[in-house]
Amino acid sequence: MTKRALFVTGTLVAAVASVSLLTSQSTTAQGPQGDTAVPYEAPVDIDTAGLPGPKQPILYRHDVHAGQYEMDCRYCHFAAEVSPSPALPAVATCMGCHIIAGAANPEVQKLREYWNERRPIEWIEVHEMAPFVRFPHNRHVVSDSGSFKELEVVEKCDVCHGPIRRMPQVYQFASLKMGWCITCHEKDQVSIDCTLCHY
Amino acid sequence: MTTLVQEDQLTRPTYHEVTRDIVATLGRPSRMYYVLLGLVITVFAIGVVALLFQVRYGLGVAGYTPPVMWGVYIATFVFWVGIAHSGTLISAILYLFRSAWRTSVYRTAEAMTVFAVMTAGLFPLIHVGRIWYAYWLFPYPNQRQLWVNFKSPLLWDVFAVSTYFTVSTLFLIVGLIPDLAAVREKATGWRKKLYEITSLGWRGTDQQWRHYTRGYLYLAALATPLVLSVHSVVSWDFAMSIVPGWHATIFAPYFVAGAIYSGVAMVVTLLVPLRKVFKVERYITVEHFENLAKLLLLTGLIVGYAYAIEYFIAWYSGSPYERASFWNRAFGEYWWATWTMITCNGFLPLLLFSRKIRRSIPAMFVLSLFVNLGMWFERFVIIVVSLSFEYEPYAMGHYTPSWVEWAILAGSFAWFFMWFLLFAKNFPTVSITEVKEIIPMPRKERAHA
Amino acid sequence: MAENSNGMNRRRFLKVLGVTGGGAAALTGCSGDGAQKLIPYIVPPDNQIPGIATWYASTCRECPAGCGLHVRVREGRPVKLEGNPDHPVNGGRLCARGQAGLQGLYNPDRVRQPLARASDGTFEPISWDEAIARITEGVNAVPGDQMRFMTGSEAGTFDRFVDDWLAAFGSTGRINFEPFAYEALRHASRSVFGIDALPRYDLASARYVLSFGTDFLETWSNPVGQARAFGDSHGFRDGAMGKFVHVEPRMSMTAMSADEWIAPAPGTEGLIAMAMARVIVRDGLASVPSDVARLESILDQFEPDSVAARTDVPAETIERLAREFVSEPSVALAGGVGCQHAEAHGTAAAVLLMNYVAGNVGRTVQFATESGSAPATYADVVGLAQMMRDGSVGALLVHSANPVYATPPGLRFVEAMRQVPFKVSFSRFLDETAAECDLVLPDHDPLEQWNDSEPIPGVHTLQQPVMQPVFETRQTGDVLLTVAQQAGGRAATRLATSTYKEYLEAAWQRLQRRLGDPRPFAAFWTEALQRGGAWREVGTRAVRLATPMGRFGDVLPWVAPADGLALVAYPSPALFDGRGANRPWLQELPDPVTKVTWSTWVEIHPETAAEYRIAEGDIVELASQAGSIRVPAYLYPGIRRDCVAVPMGQGHTAFGRYAEGRGANVLSLLSGEPTAYGGVATYTAVTLRHTGAHERLAKTEGRPRQLGRGIAQAIALEELVHGEPHEAHEGHAAPVPEHIEDVLDEWQEGEFRETEQGDYAGEHPRWAMAVDLSRCTGCSACVTACHAENNIATVGAELVSRGREMSWLRIERYFEGGENGVPFEARVVPMMCQHCGNAPCEPVCPVFAAYHTPDGLNAQIYNRCVGTRYCSNNCPYKVRYFNWFDYQDEADSTFAWPAPLHWLLNPDVTVRAKGVMEKCTFCVQRIRDKQHAATLADRELADGEVVTACQQTCPANAIVFGDLHDPNSQVSRAARDARGYHVLGDLNTRPAITYLKKVRNIVEA
Repeated sequence: MTKRALFVTGTLVAAVASVSLLTSQSTTAQGPQGDTAVPYEAPVDIDTAGLPGPKQPILYRHDVHAGQYEMDCRYCHFAAEVSPSPALPAVATCMGCHIIAGAANPEVQKLREYWNERRPIEWIEVHEMAPFVRFPHNRHVVSDSGSFKELEVVEKCDVCHGPIRRMPQVYQFASLKMGWCITCHEKDQVSIDCTLCHY
Repeated sequence: MTTLVQEDQLTRPTYHEVTRDIVATLGRPSRMYYVLLGLVITVFAIGVVALLFQVRYGLGVAGYTPPVMWGVYIATFVFWVGIAHSGTLISAILYLFRSAWRTSVYRTAEAMTVFAVMTAGLFPLIHVGRIWYAYWLFPYPNQRQLWVNFKSPLLWDVFAVSTYFTVSTLFLIVGLIPDLAAVREKATGWRKKLYEITSLGWRGTDQQWRHYTRGYLYLAALATPLVLSVHSVVSWDFAMSIVPGWHATIFAPYFVAGAIYSGVAMVVTLLVPLRKVFKVERYITVEHFENLAKLLLLTGLIVGYAYAIEYFIAWYSGSPYERASFWNRAFGEYWWATWTMITCNGFLPLLLFSRKIRRSIPAMFVLSLFVNLGMWFERFVIIVVSLSFEYEPYAMGHYTPSWVEWAILAGSFAWFFMWFLLFAKNFPTVSITEVKEIIPMPRKERAHA
Repeated sequence: MAENSNGMNRRRFLKVLGVTGGGAAALTGCSGDGAQKLIPYIVPPDNQIPGIATWYASTCRECPAGCGLHVRVREGRPVKLEGNPDHPVNGGRLCARGQAGLQGLYNPDRVRQPLARASDGTFEPISWDEAIARITEGVNAVPGDQMRFMTGSEAGTFDRFVDDWLAAFGSTGRINFEPFAYEALRHASRSVFGIDALPRYDLASARYVLSFGTDFLETWSNPVGQARAFGDSHGFRDGAMGKFVHVEPRMSMTAMSADEWIAPAPGTEGLIAMAMARVIVRDGLASVPSDVARLESILDQFEPDSVAARTDVPAETIERLAREFVSEPSVALAGGVGCQHAEAHGTAAAVLLMNYVAGNVGRTVQFATESGSAPATYADVVGLAQMMRDGSVGALLVHSANPVYATPPGLRFVEAMRQVPFKVSFSRFLDETAAECDLVLPDHDPLEQWNDSEPIPGVHTLQQPVMQPVFETRQTGDVLLTVAQQAGGRAATRLATSTYKEYLEAAWQRLQRRLGDPRPFAAFWTEALQRGGAWREVGTRAVRLATPMGRFGDVLPWVAPADGLALVAYPSPALFDGRGANRPWLQELPDPVTKVTWSTWVEIHPETAAEYRIAEGDIVELASQAGSIRVPAYLYPGIRRDCVAVPMGQGHTAFGRYAEGRGANVLSLLSGEPTAYGGVATYTAVTLRHTGAHERLAKTEGRPRQLGRGIAQAIALEELVHGEPHEAHEGHAAPVPEHIEDVLDEWQEGEFRETEQGDYAGEHPRWAMAVDLSRCTGCSACVTACHAENNIATVGAELVSRGREMSWLRIERYFEGGENGVPFEARVVPMMCQHCGNAPCEPVCPVFAAYHTPDGLNAQIYNRCVGTRYCSNNCPYKVRYFNWFDYQDEADSTFAWPAPLHWLLNPDVTVRAKGVMEKCTFCVQRIRDKQHAATLADRELADGEVVTACQQTCPANAIVFGDLHDPNSQVSRAARDARGYHVLGDLNTRPAITYLKKVRNIVEA
């Protein structure tokens, strides 16, 4: 038993060292959005071609909605606090505002087409998790310890999603690899029992 | 001792003759050789196809019938690991004991060892459900912070086999150096290049000889414990489990003896045709076979004893599971396998008490084949029959291998012989240097004339 | 994005999968398959939160019992069916067939749009408009008196609706077909008590149950409710339990739970009942009702001594039974398999008489003031066939009935049907009957439609749509209404309502008035929907012997053939009358008695088999006057030497990929002639011939006997109550020496400690289970529940025959005795991962895929598994299952969930890919779910809060689950029970599952 412990610790040190690089980013994630003194202005015209992340059927701008207008993430992802899955806004939800708002915007016009044709928007999944992993959003969003201590709900999202409120087009911020999860769980003294996420 | 050997075995060939005869074995191969090579490569290819088929569709294409979760693959793995053992025994242990007769046979045995381990090493991979993740069996730092389970005998296997492969390969290569230098002088074309490289610039200086012999000695010392340890570890795959018929303290010595037993048998199987084809009867003589026969007899008796003891303990333990398991071995659905094993390994070797048989090369050849067969069945019986009759009566089952398993088994033999054939034609299968060592210095008769 | 070819609504499908996320997706190494799409709703549905299940109450329509359902819906897809706890019929439990209803909903062989017979005889898809046009034209062309409408045993508003609809067309020709219509029992209560009703048996309050071949734990009447009641009365509690004696030539699944099994000559059960009645009256054992005097003359003919010879049951046994019967609150059951032979009306009458004589009628045998609607007898069906043959039926409409399959071929129903010019089927599947029709207008699945039924007088149970229809089907009620509108004239005016739902609501408004519920209808309706229906008290009526007593065949025995053998055909516990045959779960569910799957077999006593030189798996030909079938033999010591038994349900010629061309239909052996009481005779004389062919039976059983290893243990009541508490453990649980104990504890704790971390440090629960074998009947509902909850693949007959079934939970069935004088006994023990505290599988896994969680689970991490299978070798219980093929890869022939079957996959459980080991997880997803909920609500988990799937559905309530570290939890108390033992406990595996010995209420001879 003790022998194995030695082995383990030996390489864990190495492993942790290598992984810690990743986490150093994730922890500093809140940085740019910490200061809410100056109201944020989303850039008006942006080079869509140069944006990181997959190109979505509609260029939905988190930086405008969540950033500039400071809409609460939960307005669209309404289940984040109550369900393992944060939920996607139905087209109807978008139309709630855009029946009036932003008529001129070509992207909004796309949205209206979808609505008129009663077609769902096929968003491309950005944060793709391996099918054998369970990630309960609610447990993380509601949590008030460790990495989530004394954070606004919207800030809690940033812990994993990074500067999402500054993203014109969403890209995957964290690696979502197991090592990335584990480091956080160890740092926050949360269980790393396999069956916490794998079943 | 030396003189004796010299008198009887080698009717005084000169150094020159030795070099000539043995280098001759590397001459242009006959058509027969190519036919054989083609054959084994074809069979090997078939095995590969079978494996790919299995990887694509899943292990279900093999005959596994729960609760028999291990079958032909593991049996064959153990079989080949066993084969590997005599090589090291003959080359290393007998070397340390300075028994001169090994000189002309040890090269073959060593080569066999390396190729056998190469074959054995494949089977754990063939056997696992997700071969593409087999590398998880090695401890390596990873971002998932996952580690391997050092409690698991399977893991010990990984280390045992890889260590054994490294050492025996090293041993073979080092032993080859002076010979390759000798061959180098005679060779031409690409082979010359090959030998120039592999002989590592050997020039036969005193210093080189001194270092060489030291190094060889140490390697021998290093290899010797492996003969015992490796197969002990393999046996623990079984002994450490709670399967009735596996969970026995005798397994380590039992398996080591069995390993050497099967190994020696395989050496005989290989030497008989080899000495004919290569016309090296002068160097590999009846004496050698008799010595091998004695080794065979000794280990055979140990194995036979182990069989007996297994049954005794099963009864003596008073464990109804053990008793039922062994009763099932002898008289259950697999009685035929059990009795094949007992006949081939327990009874037939008793013939070796007769000097006549020990010295009859055809007899030895046939016998060696039987022992090989018997030893494969030993593994089959231990693994399959025990698993088919464990604790839960409702969950007992009967396993019969599928064509895929047979194809892969055949392929493994082909793979082994492929390497051996290639080796035999490109490297001296009898050690030139060591044979010379036991020939007395040539005297110059006409010195005074 | 248009509908795709197979008629499935692709858009809806994507919508579902998208928001579900990876949950139900397969275990592939890493997600390589391009960009995953997320498809949101266009308009969000009410009360649906992605990732959280919604529950709807509905009703199970897999058999006439009418159990209440709670349907678990995730992202708009029903993913599991569970019993409705508030429902009077099943009280929260559900049988295997009920749960497999899900595979009816998602069955890949459902009729996906209306079909019409083309000129070349094949079916061609047509539009609904055209379909309705055709049927309207068809029915208009036929005069009302020539129209016949065959429905299943609906016993609800739909019946009345069809009547109204027919009336609108001037017809009264509804015939209500149910293969087992209890004709004998009805006939008996008519002739004995002069009332046309079925008795209600009160099993819960009876302490002595005597069943004359009534399979009340399998398929007869309301098996789930009866199993519950039986479990309560017969299960051992505080030193007492009821006694159950079963009288039948074959030991059925029901009989396996009996304390005593009596095997009389086939068909002579009635004589025994009469003889018992005779004894009771003769010796004045009970205060018999006054009018029993009239029976004297009849009873005199049934002296035990005279009866003994004919029944092959010793007179003293009969005397003893009679005495036991009156000694405590008792009930004698008639009906089911034992009441299907030619003279069964006599048998049923005899049993009713005996109950009456013993004073049970009015107590444990009751007759409701309402008799409910009776299904048509087989004789009526024969009548219909005759009319069709005469050409006096112009149009035949069939709904949820399959007479072509479910009537004996001797009746030649098919030929008769072919005489009918216009035939319409509303079947959801292209079954044998639909295949004969000109039009197929697929109905919604019960889970997609509005409906109700009244399975028991006073129990009005509702069905509501729990999802959007999977295919382009329409509810038959609505179709018929449209037809009525289009037919115009009288029809249109008589059926004013525009949808069937309105018609249903109207019916429920009447019901509300009847219940005198003052609230506005909306409130009543909503509450009914939430509860799953509305129940009202229905009184019982006192009954007296009819005057004059009707003729019931003077209780003649059915005379077993002198030569040849008596065949007993019985409804399969899994497939019932065959309507379950297209559900892979049910096909792969091992038969509770023989453990055979996916096929038909004939049960033969080993000695009889020896006479015929037949070994297991030999194909034998059974021949009767009616016909012959070829089936493999199964040697069963639990059947009389002069009998053979064959289950019903297989041998379909249509009905989809899972049912077609599998096994044989035993009805081929039965006569098409109706019996005196108007039923089908399921006992008949057969001859047996060895064909020389052989096949490997696809059964999950290795060896039928325990080899004295004490896996399924039982103890006599006497011994348990008066004997030493801890002695008499079967098997050889060697006492463990003290110092070993310490070592084991050390090791066990070590295993826990290793995985302790962060908030898992310190105190953990130790999840554990207890299984009460005195309650378990072996019905196997838990097995199907496990399949449904844990996405377990079905692998098919070929792989099962090679021991590769994947079922995490199996019911092991062991035979005891049956030779040299020891009475034959069958025991069952549910076997799943024991979650050992000292698990042999854990240390041998080289990669920690198998390891111990801090809360005592023996975990199996699929995505870490390399597939060395060492764990399985080292598991003494053999409860680990390996993915030999890629059951989740639609490209493979072994694909287990052909679309849309994959919609039933539980999103909370990973679907395993090839090459990994899997096993029972104690429903870890349910544990974690509850733990999350508790943590979010900032409270502790309560005992009994976590419920595993098997425990949830167990009709007999045999399973408890909970935390072993909590000394007051149910499971801890069960684990301390004197009956408690661990299977193979002598291996020191420290299982988390405690089995409570079966208790046999017998007097040890």
